[in-house]
Amino acid sequence: MADLLQYTITGITVGMVYSLIAMGFVLIWKSSGVANLALGQLVLLFSWFTYGMLAQTGLPVWLGLVVVVAFALLLGWIIERFVLRPLIAQPILSLIAVTLGMAYFIEGLCTFIWPWGVDVLPRLFPQDPIRIGTAVVSQEYLWAAGVSLLLFGALSLYFKYSRMGIAMRATADDQMAVQACGIPVTRIFSRSWMFACVMAAVGGILMSSIGGISYGLVETGMKSFSVVILGGLDSFLGAIIAGPIIGLAENLAGGYLTAYTWPGVKEIIPFIIIIIVMFIKPYGLFGESRIERI
Amino acid sequence: MLKLNNIEVTYLNVIRVIHGVSMIVPDGQIVALLGGNGAGKSTTLKAISGLLHVEVGKVTDGSIYWDETRIDEKGAEDIGRLGIVQALEGRRIFGHLTAEENLLVGAFNRSNRGQVRDDMDMVYHYFPRLKDLRKNTAGYLSGGEQQMVVIGRAMMAAPKMMMLDEPSLGLAPMLVEEIYEIIKRFNREQKTSVLIVEQNVRVALSIADYGYVLENGRVVLDGSADFLKNNEDVKEFYMGLSATGAKKNYRELKHYKRRKRWL
Repeated sequence: MADLLQYTITGITVGMVYSLIAMGFVLIWKSSGVANLALGQLVLLFSWFTYGMLAQTGLPVWLGLVVVVAFALLLGWIIERFVLRPLIAQPILSLIAVTLGMAYFIEGLCTFIWPWGVDVLPRLFPQDPIRIGTAVVSQEYLWAAGVSLLLFGALSLYFKYSRMGIAMRATADDQMAVQACGIPVTRIFSRSWMFACVMAAVGGILMSSIGGISYGLVETGMKSFSVVILGGLDSFLGAIIAGPIIGLAENLAGGYLTAYTWPGVKEIIPFIIIIIVMFIKPYGLFGESRIERI
Repeated sequence: MLKLNNIEVTYLNVIRVIHGVSMIVPDGQIVALLGGNGAGKSTTLKAISGLLHVEVGKVTDGSIYWDETRIDEKGAEDIGRLGIVQALEGRRIFGHLTAEENLLVGAFNRSNRGQVRDDMDMVYHYFPRLKDLRKNTAGYLSGGEQQMVVIGRAMMAAPKMMMLDEPSLGLAPMLVEEIYEIIKRFNREQKTSVLIVEQNVRVALSIADYGYVLENGRVVLDGSADFLKNNEDVKEFYMGLSATGAKKNYRELKHYKRRKRWL
């Protein structure tokens, strides 16, 4: 029983980080209709960048994290301005292909700058494990959950009340009508890329403080991608709910099925669940929220 | 004052749909742009509001002036900032936002929050029904209410000129009258000029000061609303009235078609 609680807690908390990264994907998909396939690579890049700032440059933690967030905002802006904006009004395939190209470019860049490929971040969170009932959980997991929840909250307030946030939701509904209101959609696209990059950066920091930095982080991006597909491409709520489901599934499978099947079962269980869900709900659990008046 | 000088519009560099349209929208007036399907009405509006590029179209000849500023090469945001706002055809509301949030999106480019508040009250004054519905999700409003949200959203931009693309589309005749009455009141009270694209010629001419009839991308007839209302061709081809002004009697229908005088 102790194991079950343990797996559940770690599964849900890791899942929340997946949700966080996935929301960045949903944001871009909703506002500009672009599938950002470079999600995992961005997570990897930001993790390495954090490593660079904290371990290599030796900045104090708070300053280093501020620099990372600033870098994420800048990179988001650059990606939108110089990679995607020239492709506006081009076929959607070009837009998706360019994110794929970007993914390989970023991965190559990381190998180029940090060729040793595996490392650990300096400790950001207190070390002592915490006892919850019978389970012993390292604090990183709880911090990850806390930070994710905080960001979920901040984002939903932003989308509910700020002028820009409301405009971003409006863009998701009807791009052309937004332009007819005199709103520069390009600014909205660039804002959503900036946010998505910050979410990838925070997700990367949380994931790598739990499991260290390695190319496995790209897989984290893939997991977030599967969270998006499970939750529905255009649903924030879907992303928030599907994240913990995927996290739970992989941790429970890793814990209980490995003994009976094979060691990698943890990695594929989430995808099996997705395939099953896709059979039943092709648009994801919360996708296709189009409003139709009958 | 808005002035179109002999503009041509081409889509995808090959499909020319507007072949030289000239028109004027004087300050504070209501101008109607009339015509059947595919005449080029909506394209003309998009040429003015800078939305053509979204559909890979371009003003390839002629010019558009707003007062002294040439606007045919500007983007939609810049034109919006000059005070020209367009309500698109077909009630393009933001379905997942509430009615009030829809209105706020219309005021995006305005920084003075107090004035935005006041204008919100103004919209509720013109459309009292929206006040009760302001917390409702816009996607679930009725067609007429959605059209009110769309027009209200255009009002929220504090426009100098408002362009409405078929506000009567798919609405019950009584609702159409009501909405046109409100448009007219808004025009008189706020001194905003209005350019209306409409297929419902009768109702458009009932509030307009001046009208242009568009066919196949050309202006075939223009004149004051009274002139157009009494023009035999407009009556015959756009209002379904026979030469005597009575409703058409299909029993006495002639077997040849009346020729349009302007061709």
